[in-house]
Amino acid sequence: MIARTMEETRDVLSRTWSSRGGLAGWFSITTHQEIGKRYITTAFIFLLIGGIEALLMRLQLARPDNTLLSAQRYNQIFTLHGTTMMFLFAVPVMEGMGVYLVPLMLGTRNVAFPRLNAFGYWMYLMGGLFLYAGTFSNSIPDAGWFSYPPLSGPQFSPGKGLDVWGQMITYTEISAMCVAVELIVTIFKMRAPGMSLHRIPMFCWAMLVQSFMVLFAMPAVMLASTVMLVNDRTIGTHFMNPAEGGDPLLYQHVFWFFGHPEVYIIFIPALGMVSSILEANTQRGIFGYSAMVLSLVANGFIAFGLWVHHMFATGLPQIGEAYFTTASMMIGITSGVQIFCWLATLWTGRLRLTAAMHFVFGFIFIFVLGGLTGIMLASIPFDLQAHDTFFVVAHFHYVLIGGALFPLFGGFHYWFPKFNGRLLDEKLGKLTFWTLFLGFNLTFFPMHVLGLNGMTRRIYTYPAEMGWGPANLLATIGALVIALGGIFFIVNVLRSRQSGAVSDNNPWKAGTLEWEPASPPEKYNFELQPVVTGRYPLWEAPEKRAAVTGMREDRREVIVTSVMDGVPQFRMVLPGSSIWPFLTALGFGIGLAGSVVWFSWYFVASALGMFGLIGWFWPYEPGEIEP
Amino acid sequence: MMSARSLDLADLPVYSISNRAPLWWGQVMMCAIEGSMLCMLIAIYVYLRLGVDIWPSPGTQLPLLTLPALAWVPLVISTLGSYLASEAAKKDDKRGMILALALNFGMGSLFLVFRFAEWRTFNFTWSTDAHGTIVWTILFLHTFDVIADLLMTLMLLIIVASGKYGPRQRLGVHVDSVIWYFLVAIWLPLYAVIYWGPRIIGSP
Repeated sequence: MIARTMEETRDVLSRTWSSRGGLAGWFSITTHQEIGKRYITTAFIFLLIGGIEALLMRLQLARPDNTLLSAQRYNQIFTLHGTTMMFLFAVPVMEGMGVYLVPLMLGTRNVAFPRLNAFGYWMYLMGGLFLYAGTFSNSIPDAGWFSYPPLSGPQFSPGKGLDVWGQMITYTEISAMCVAVELIVTIFKMRAPGMSLHRIPMFCWAMLVQSFMVLFAMPAVMLASTVMLVNDRTIGTHFMNPAEGGDPLLYQHVFWFFGHPEVYIIFIPALGMVSSILEANTQRGIFGYSAMVLSLVANGFIAFGLWVHHMFATGLPQIGEAYFTTASMMIGITSGVQIFCWLATLWTGRLRLTAAMHFVFGFIFIFVLGGLTGIMLASIPFDLQAHDTFFVVAHFHYVLIGGALFPLFGGFHYWFPKFNGRLLDEKLGKLTFWTLFLGFNLTFFPMHVLGLNGMTRRIYTYPAEMGWGPANLLATIGALVIALGGIFFIVNVLRSRQSGAVSDNNPWKAGTLEWEPASPPEKYNFELQPVVTGRYPLWEAPEKRAAVTGMREDRREVIVTSVMDGVPQFRMVLPGSSIWPFLTALGFGIGLAGSVVWFSWYFVASALGMFGLIGWFWPYEPGEIEP
Repeated sequence: MMSARSLDLADLPVYSISNRAPLWWGQVMMCAIEGSMLCMLIAIYVYLRLGVDIWPSPGTQLPLLTLPALAWVPLVISTLGSYLASEAAKKDDKRGMILALALNFGMGSLFLVFRFAEWRTFNFTWSTDAHGTIVWTILFLHTFDVIADLLMTLMLLIIVASGKYGPRQRLGVHVDSVIWYFLVAIWLPLYAVIYWGPRIIGSP
């Protein structure tokens, strides 16, 4: 082969990894950066919607006997808020970050299954559109984000709202499982040559553990919501009907078998982000890498043994409950190990106080408080008092916003230059942080007190004599401050996209591979795929660096390496762009939407989906047959 | 990128029809998803069973034993088909792939014939009682998976027979066997729970 100049190589790579133009081309894109950005953008739009719903609730509760929202409207809004935040924002945004960052961090060109990746995104989008299409046609779920029967059953929740809710979960969970499978395989099999297990970046470890949790947790929620709840409602099965041998508590078990790991599915990627931000901003590797990885993995296991602590008030046998108390406290140990490792990293590194670091500090502060109330709630006698009160609302917002949203915002500030080629404004970023931090504590800290004073969650109003007015007003003011922080963030993103300071490849002087290519990276990520000789390749001495040669650029070639040691095994040609993943998702989407009214539409979904899959796998081009 | 050293991979093969292929790993992960769902169904069966004294409710007949037992014969033979198909795919033996895939598809379909015939003998539906609900759910979901995989097998058969295939499609044949083994293997505990569980434990 005649040696090409670098210029020519780039040109060939760029043509190989491009999709066709036009609208059909836009629906056919399978590059991980584009899909990742779509996930993140869509998820942030849902965050905005969920945030507006939260504001409506806070405005209603601002003073006693308020009549801004009716009781039914309030029920619908808190259900939509929880559902949107959990299923349409928190999980997908973490998946999006993983889809964008993992292949870059591993030094490869795309995920292992690019078309599955595109399919997953379209399923997610359709699930979100489906829920809000139901909402705007007045089929609105109103039984809370976990929709317990019998309230959510056919007797007490007529109408289609709950069916829409149940089926929306199918869409989003299919999407999450697609991402989980492709990230696991990408992390196992497509790492840069030389990247043995103990050289995997912390964020990738976090995504790996999260993906395995998705694999084992998500099927449970599909059983709970789609198979059990929707079928009980539409075709008269008796999973939760005690008159025919069913049991409403069964739903809670199956739901929380998913629901508790779900919290960690959201939170573990955030831990990975914290580690990445810390490493770059202290200019040292994470303290106690092995301990951190083992803690992450242990968290993944223990998280499956906690679900009953959501059900302490249901009258289960006490010996069983004691086990779940122990497990709930045990997870404090593995989480504590991580906190101490981060503190040690901070202690021994050269700290740079960027906006992203502010969010990390905010995370540690808020999350530790949320963890402490978590330990309190793990104790059954206390839980029985605080169950279903605002104390619990305060606790899980400290854990979820502190544990996931603050690291996510930190991560967003940190990786934004990679996404867009421009830096977010640091000053405005710090202002965003302080506004959010202040607003958050103002909103949720009073809820601890409200809960201990007996204010139960999910009440749409309260009489003045209860004395809950002042604390509620404070919380509402806090919510408005959070909204202001949100506006600062949006302004910062929109402004910096256009006119922010231009970023070089590695603005934070970080050590991991995502900072090697240009910002933003070309569609093929790396001109020459890197060879890795240490945990932080970009901090290695230049003479130790190496790159892969001998790959063909005129087709989408990637390297497959061994699971343990990252030894190259063979080259693989990834499939090209295709519109079939979109069409397949559309077919499934139409069928699943119909199934909330007619069970037989599951067969429509299957037939259309099968048709889509045939189009997807059919070898059209010679290149798809003989590589 | 200023690289002092390089690693030349030009001599590496461009595919591998083996358990080292990412697609094989992807298929194993699919099995993990399906497996956790079906195991959860077993847990639900046991949970519902323990919640009542009489199982199934009076007047309901437990699923009969003969047809599902006979259905094991084509099911086990079908795995031989998928084994031979994946071996033929590794050796790029077109005739072998066609015959083995056809054996897999034919025996799998025969299994479904037994299953549909069995359903006609049930004197309960999914809306009779909790027993009917969980038995039909398990059977429906397992059957759904079996049909989906048989259609995939049929599609591979058509692609291979049409001659429009290469390493990528051969890898497809190889990993198709993985999910088929899984569907046969997972049927063993499901079968034991549905047919033998209520007869061995807690029967009067």
